[in-house]
Amino acid sequence: MKHWLRGTWAVLRKDLRLELRSRYVLNALLVFVLSALLVVALAAGADSVDTRIQAGLLWIVILFTASLGLGRAFVVEEECNTALLLRLHTTGSMVYTGKLAYSFLSVLTVNGVLVMAFLVLLSVEVAHAGLLVVTLALGTLGLSGATTLLAAIIARTARSGPLLPMLLFPLLMPLLLAAVEATHLSLTGSVAGAWNAAASALAAMTGFTGVVISASVLLFDHVWHD
Amino acid sequence: MTLPREHPVARSFIDTHYRQIRLLIVLWMTAVLLGAFSFGGHWLNIPRISILEHTARNLYFHVPMWFTMMALTVVSAWHSMRCLRSGDAVRDIRARSAAQVAVVFGLLGLLTGSVWAHYTWYEGTSIWWNFDPKQTMATVQVLIYGAYFALRSALDDSAKRARISAVYNVFAFATVPFLLYVLPRQMESLHPGAEGNPAFSEITHPLMRLVFYPAVIGFIGVGWLLYHQRVRARKLEQQLENRQYTPL
Repeated sequence: MKHWLRGTWAVLRKDLRLELRSRYVLNALLVFVLSALLVVALAAGADSVDTRIQAGLLWIVILFTASLGLGRAFVVEEECNTALLLRLHTTGSMVYTGKLAYSFLSVLTVNGVLVMAFLVLLSVEVAHAGLLVVTLALGTLGLSGATTLLAAIIARTARSGPLLPMLLFPLLMPLLLAAVEATHLSLTGSVAGAWNAAASALAAMTGFTGVVISASVLLFDHVWHD
Repeated sequence: MTLPREHPVARSFIDTHYRQIRLLIVLWMTAVLLGAFSFGGHWLNIPRISILEHTARNLYFHVPMWFTMMALTVVSAWHSMRCLRSGDAVRDIRARSAAQVAVVFGLLGLLTGSVWAHYTWYEGTSIWWNFDPKQTMATVQVLIYGAYFALRSALDDSAKRARISAVYNVFAFATVPFLLYVLPRQMESLHPGAEGNPAFSEITHPLMRLVFYPAVIGFIGVGWLLYHQRVRARKLEQQLENRQYTPL
């Protein structure tokens, strides 16, 4: 167990260090998020958008950002020819968990900035900040859980192109629906009843995240090893 | 002239009795179709319900399409799982063939449902499509298989294609419970059995069940037939590919 934790931490630390050296993913994603949000805000005409549509727009931007940023996680290893070294020194589950933690942290950072900008640009008022934060964190975990395995899959293909969004979007439909519902409640719901109202959506998100991550752990070795 | 068999394979019951099974399914479906379209007289004349009228006969087609698609989805995921265990190429052929036939039945189910809904639920409006949970679930399932086939075409090596696409198929199957049980609970539906609507058994006349249950069995039979034909064709193709060229 200690060995496994150390391996996972090493994979995560390696990715974080590489990211801090180049800041490629973070810079690219932040610029993408802000420009996408600007497009959304201009197209929506900020003053008269229904809160449900606002919640939907927010999650659409999150989904596209994640599918752009997380797809690189394993492609990078193949491009730099470091995948073999990683296979030699670690087991599959260490790599999966390390990459998952890295994906989660990077998307969470980007989403934090995104939500701030979203609230300001579309002048949204939050009725229940705690619920919004929990929804975002859970949604991000489910998102990165599903994307990490798919990123490993597309790294094995000859032509990746637009493959990741195509593989990802249908799978994420249950998560997306629950997340939009919970976000909608956090923007409008009364402060007292918001948690109760959002309970079923949050339960669905937790269940989905659990299923996706456990399935990924079980399946990852088949993708990772030849 | 007959080519010599290089690898005599054990022939199962299905292989030796294929023609008889096919004939049985064809006759069965003929009887189902006769029952489904019997008008007039008292024989299998369905009760008339306002708005629904004779469109109720679509029950014999629309609902079995879904059952067949779900059955084939389970078959496809099962063979993908076995493919990951054993790496057997035949498992990959089976998973892929089941997925292809499942898509056909999924599209037919969407089509029959969309037309049915237009002339009953949305009578007098111009609505053809609505995001009813069951409809959404089926669309997502078809989309998942679309992604599955796209993934397959992006993989060149056949062993790798079998393994990687099997992973995606199993992974997608893990989210199906959410599509089937969790998602429909959170949305309003017009389908029978949903909140506020009577269940299937309460609104269906016993006469209709006389045709409906055989129709379910018949369409699953047709689905199995299409699936089995594809598997046989692919196996033969593979045998031809593997056969070394020998001058006659």
